[in-house]
Amino acid sequence: MFSRSALARSLAVSEQLCTRPSVTRIQASSSPLRSAAASFHQKSYAAQQATQTTPPSSSASSSAPFTPPTTSTTSTTSTTQTTQQTKIPPPPQFTTPLKASESLLETLPHLAAQRPHFLTALIHDRPYLITEGDSVRLPFLMAGVEPGDVLRLNRASVLGSREFSLKGAPFVDERLFECRVRVMGVDAEPLRIKEKTKRRNRHVQRVTSKHRYTLLRVMEVRVKGVEELREEGVDVVKE
Amino acid sequence: MPVQGIKAVTTARNGVGAFILQCKRLDFHYCDWAGSSRGMVAFLKHKLPAIAKENPQIEIRVSPRPHRHPVIKGQYINGREKAICVRNLEPEQIVNKVSLLKEASGEKLKRIKKPVSSINESVRGIWSPFHGEYKGI
Repeated sequence: MFSRSALARSLAVSEQLCTRPSVTRIQASSSPLRSAAASFHQKSYAAQQATQTTPPSSSASSSAPFTPPTTSTTSTTSTTQTTQQTKIPPPPQFTTPLKASESLLETLPHLAAQRPHFLTALIHDRPYLITEGDSVRLPFLMAGVEPGDVLRLNRASVLGSREFSLKGAPFVDERLFECRVRVMGVDAEPLRIKEKTKRRNRHVQRVTSKHRYTLLRVMEVRVKGVEELREEGVDVVKE
Repeated sequence: MPVQGIKAVTTARNGVGAFILQCKRLDFHYCDWAGSSRGMVAFLKHKLPAIAKENPQIEIRVSPRPHRHPVIKGQYINGREKAICVRNLEPEQIVNKVSLLKEASGEKLKRIKKPVSSINESVRGIWSPFHGEYKGI
């Protein structure tokens, strides 16, 4: 293993999930307080730990930060903990550090410095060209998500700015960028009625369908700089 | 150079920073006497308190509406309203209808063909024949 920044660790995903070409659930919450703290996930977690360690009665639970507070703690601390209790995703289990060629490390600063960025993210192997602030209506209903959840898209084929682009072969390594989207809700299409007829028959069959779709909003598209990659650990491959 | 208007500093885009659920209020209407409200009354007694506790950001109003079928109405931030008639439905079915109203954006249903919609300027810019290097034919 290698060292990673705290934010990356809080948002990163396990390798089993990475191998699947889809998204990983970051946080399961629907209340505004929790979702507002989503982008500062690690901070809220740190605050939660601080609230737990400060009262002397809950010092026993400081070793295990996710246990519910004991009955001796005050009601105010217990309410803050229930509201801030979030599902933290499993940390990533990368077997090998990121491999980057010297030419990539030379040219990556040009791309990282030139904002805004675009990204061709793949969800279920379908490409979505997104920039920060875009809204995406997925052509399917995503299971297991609620409005307010934050997802991290970890599969991309192209990463680019106005003048530079980084193409993956076939995918860009997920440790080179960060792309997060927010689940906004569920949308439906208007009722579709298809009329089916048979020959020489007056009967008309009307088949109806009304599909539901998940709405997303792109929160962040960021290309990591070389210094950040070096902090997290990168293997420089000579060409 | 054409005259350019003053650009807006920011545009509100829900979810990029903070996230606000679009459903702000749910109105539950029922009738004490009519049989079509039987499931609704059971829902109000047994299921609604838990749902209200889970969703503190949604205002919940319960009011009788005699001699009418039971209705759930959702009010949205964009000013629209979505109403669902829940006559003769079981409490479990009404829970599904409530989650539908909760997750909806409040917009009118539209057929959308392109998955991504953006108000950002094009990242790569518009191609110009007068810029860039000359490509010989």
